[in-house]
Amino acid sequence: MSAPQAFIVADHVCKSFGTHQVLRDVSTHFSTGEVTVIIGASGSGKSTLLRAINRLEPHDSGTITIDGVPVTDDAATLQKQRCEVGMVFQQFNLFGHLSVLDNVTLAPRRVRRTARAQANEQAMLLLRRVGLQDHAHKYPWQLSGGQQQRVAIARALAMQPKVMLFDEPTSALDPEMVQEVLDVMRELARGGMTMIVVTHEMGFAREVADRVLFFDQGRIAHDAPPEAFFGNPANDRIRAFIGRMGA
Amino acid sequence: MLVALWPQRWTRQQRSNATLVSALVLMVLALAVLGQLLSVLPEPIGSNAQAFAAGARTTLWLTLISGTLGLLLGTCAALARTSRWRVLRWAASFYIWAIRGTPLLVQILFVYFALPALVPGLNLPDFAAAVVALSLNVGAYNSEAIRAGLLAVPRGQTEAARALGLGHAHVFADVVFPQAFKISLPPLVSNFVALLKDSSLAYAIGVVELTNVGNRIQSATFQPIATLSTVAVTYLLLTTLVTQISNAIEYRFDVEGRSK
Repeated sequence: MSAPQAFIVADHVCKSFGTHQVLRDVSTHFSTGEVTVIIGASGSGKSTLLRAINRLEPHDSGTITIDGVPVTDDAATLQKQRCEVGMVFQQFNLFGHLSVLDNVTLAPRRVRRTARAQANEQAMLLLRRVGLQDHAHKYPWQLSGGQQQRVAIARALAMQPKVMLFDEPTSALDPEMVQEVLDVMRELARGGMTMIVVTHEMGFAREVADRVLFFDQGRIAHDAPPEAFFGNPANDRIRAFIGRMGA
Repeated sequence: MLVALWPQRWTRQQRSNATLVSALVLMVLALAVLGQLLSVLPEPIGSNAQAFAAGARTTLWLTLISGTLGLLLGTCAALARTSRWRVLRWAASFYIWAIRGTPLLVQILFVYFALPALVPGLNLPDFAAAVVALSLNVGAYNSEAIRAGLLAVPRGQTEAARALGLGHAHVFADVVFPQAFKISLPPLVSNFVALLKDSSLAYAIGVVELTNVGNRIQSATFQPIATLSTVAVTYLLLTTLVTQISNAIEYRFDVEGRSK
């Protein structure tokens, strides 16, 4: 095994919405094969950092690099970077006018120019992986929230990304559907996928994360392995947060 | 509704196709036999049946050509209206403002009479002038319908498409436009049906379309009830068939089964 390499590096990243500063001088890095869980109160900037990585939310200053290449507005580079970085959203954002299969095959067919038959074959493998091979010809509205989110994961995986970003993937789900999504994510992590997960699922963080980042008011307030983070909270603020989350 | 006639076990697409094909066949058939059909009616319709049929064909051509051009124009104007470039937004706003703020009759007269004076050499024949004016008119209304559709597609859809690495053109063509078009379809159909009826204003510059034919025969025979009723029923026939076609298209796009 080679030593983990820093794949995504954030260096003094700042971002404001109007007068409200959401990211204050954030510096960190995410290594290949590592599962990082980001937790913190809402509005603490954790989603914004995730969205800055694939430039859905451009940052104001500082730099973010993916595999050594800075994330900027340059369209060609950005498109290449977005292909390497898969993203899963809180609200699933499946394309409602396309079947499950077409949701998964759209990007490979359009961006990688994969032939339809081959794209379908690959998509069916992915759908089997998330346990939805029998739903390939349904439309998103016919699926439960948990199923939709699993399709969204398959859709992101179809581009064979090197990193997967999860923006509160279970926050919009009914409690009984949270597990099925977490199971898929656990399976991904076990397969060695590099993952950055913004979540409120403390159990998942404890069990799957290699590293936990705690965001507070736009800063990374703490960065520790899960055992240390949960077993021996660094300060009262973190202790209180963990307490509120019931972990 | 034609769509409801087909067996339940058929797929949405099959039922939509069946409706489209049969409505189109009905339309061609109706136009083809309209002359024969009207010729069996008593005077003054019977002897003028061919004139009525020709008028109806002209009306339909006017509508189809202007409707197609108007759809293209409307899409372009809606894109310009939501564009990043201010100049395009202004141009589109100006176009919509000018067209919606003036009567269609004035626009038709303007294209036919004033345009040749403004641009020497641009002497459009009456039919072409009517097509230009009607396309410009329906284009402005269509653009607002399409813009409403574009704005109604949730932001998350664009974000998901961009996050997958799709380029601008694909995000628009594969994700945003199909969903926007579905939302815009009912108002677009209203505009199209309105266009079919508004094409009667081409009468003012001498296009021999359905209304013009009816009015000529009415004033020659002094039988307004029979002639104008025939005109009205023919319009009804055309709008009914057009509505069936658009219902079939709407049905095909309605993958969520929301319209019953």
